[in-house]
Amino acid sequence: MSEFTEDPYAPELGSFEDLPQNPQAGNDEDTVNKTGTTTVGIAVEDGVVIATDMRASLGGRFVSNKNVQKVEQIHPTGALTLVGSVGGAQSFIRTLRSEVDLYEARRGEDISIDALATLAGNFARGGPFMAIHPILGGVDDEGSHVYSIDPAGGVMKDDYTVTGSGMQLAYGVLEGSYEEGLSMDEASTLAARAVYAATERDTGSGNGVYLALVTDEGVDITGYDDFDDVL
Amino acid sequence: MQGQNQQQAYDRGITIFSPDGRLYQVEYAREAVKRGTASVGVRTADGVVLAADRHARSPLLERDSIEKIHKADDHVGIASAGHVADARKLIDLARRQAQVEQLRYGQQIGVESLTKEVTDYIQEYTQTGGARPFGVALLLGGIEDGEPRLFETDPSGTPYEWQAVAIGGDREEIQSFLEEEYTEEMDLESGIELALEALGSVSDEGLDASGVDIATVDVESEQFTSLTEDDVAERVDEFGLEGEDDE
Repeated sequence: MSEFTEDPYAPELGSFEDLPQNPQAGNDEDTVNKTGTTTVGIAVEDGVVIATDMRASLGGRFVSNKNVQKVEQIHPTGALTLVGSVGGAQSFIRTLRSEVDLYEARRGEDISIDALATLAGNFARGGPFMAIHPILGGVDDEGSHVYSIDPAGGVMKDDYTVTGSGMQLAYGVLEGSYEEGLSMDEASTLAARAVYAATERDTGSGNGVYLALVTDEGVDITGYDDFDDVL
Repeated sequence: MQGQNQQQAYDRGITIFSPDGRLYQVEYAREAVKRGTASVGVRTADGVVLAADRHARSPLLERDSIEKIHKADDHVGIASAGHVADARKLIDLARRQAQVEQLRYGQQIGVESLTKEVTDYIQEYTQTGGARPFGVALLLGGIEDGEPRLFETDPSGTPYEWQAVAIGGDREEIQSFLEEEYTEEMDLESGIELALEALGSVSDEGLDASGVDIATVDVESEQFTSLTEDDVAERVDEFGLEGEDDE
């Protein structure tokens, strides 16, 4: 007979705990790719805008990739950013995608963004230390939502949120310019400006911007090497 | 399993189909359900009603110790028919799965999802060697996304959704009664009346309020509510369903 009750904190398919654990993994500054990163999420009436920079780095001293897409669709109307360890973030995204698909296949309706945030928080907390700090943004029957999910599983909802090494710089822009009732276009420009400020002064962020526009229609992700295209 | 009489072997082990494709042990488990007293579920526009016959075989038995209707979570109730001990195991599973949904997703479990958790579990006992099927049927009634839902589970592990349904002894008769009398426009109070009448329809002596258990989950509160014996007595009286000989 199967287990009477599944572990609510573990992924249903695969297991974070069962992954081969390299004692050096996550600590090796010279070989583990980090995103550094500035990721910005803004929730407005018509949807959610997410902006991310495009740089990956090694040891905070070397740019290991100049064309990274750090926002991925994980839900028909939801996206997650990659922040922190690239391997940890990619594994996290694969797991959440399969959970979202399984939920829909079984129940005939998409998981709500609130429930997905709770699930993501459980995984971040219940598994090994994945060294990630993503933003979850999405649209459901309740409206538009932006959450930050911290490495210890803390889940916080806000109208706008920033994570990554450039967060203070991006927040400086948002605190000066954010106002209620922004349109999707205005929010896109503001999010890009926030990432731009971070790329100018944070060594972990740079090389352009990806914008994800999430509405009840779906997720549209576009990359821009040149900030002039979006500011 | 290798008995001297090969022809009987397929009704000894549940993992064995008979030559005509039947699982005898599962069918015997359905008979076990019929040996239990009846339970009825009625879905109305503004809530679900669960009612169960729990008459005592001895006046010395404490009525409250006969468990037929259970709260699974704030918004879901479960009525059973058949083996009470088997029912308790499944109800505990349902209660735990309801909490797993809260822990995992931070939300209330849907009645359909909860039913399928239970039926998937029941199904394992129709296919696993060395086990016997559950000799119990359940009715799960509750509110999901603001809508009343009513499901049945049987010993094969098949989920069914109903507008109104009876399980247990006299199922066919009570079901025919429900099919005659049920209308979709019923409110909760009419649902309670229909459920009581349905249970009473197979009794020559009428209904004894202390022998009937009723619970509702209404759309407005989304809360499982058990009626007190006085509440039941009041309605039995109001609907003229009490026995004529001893009351």
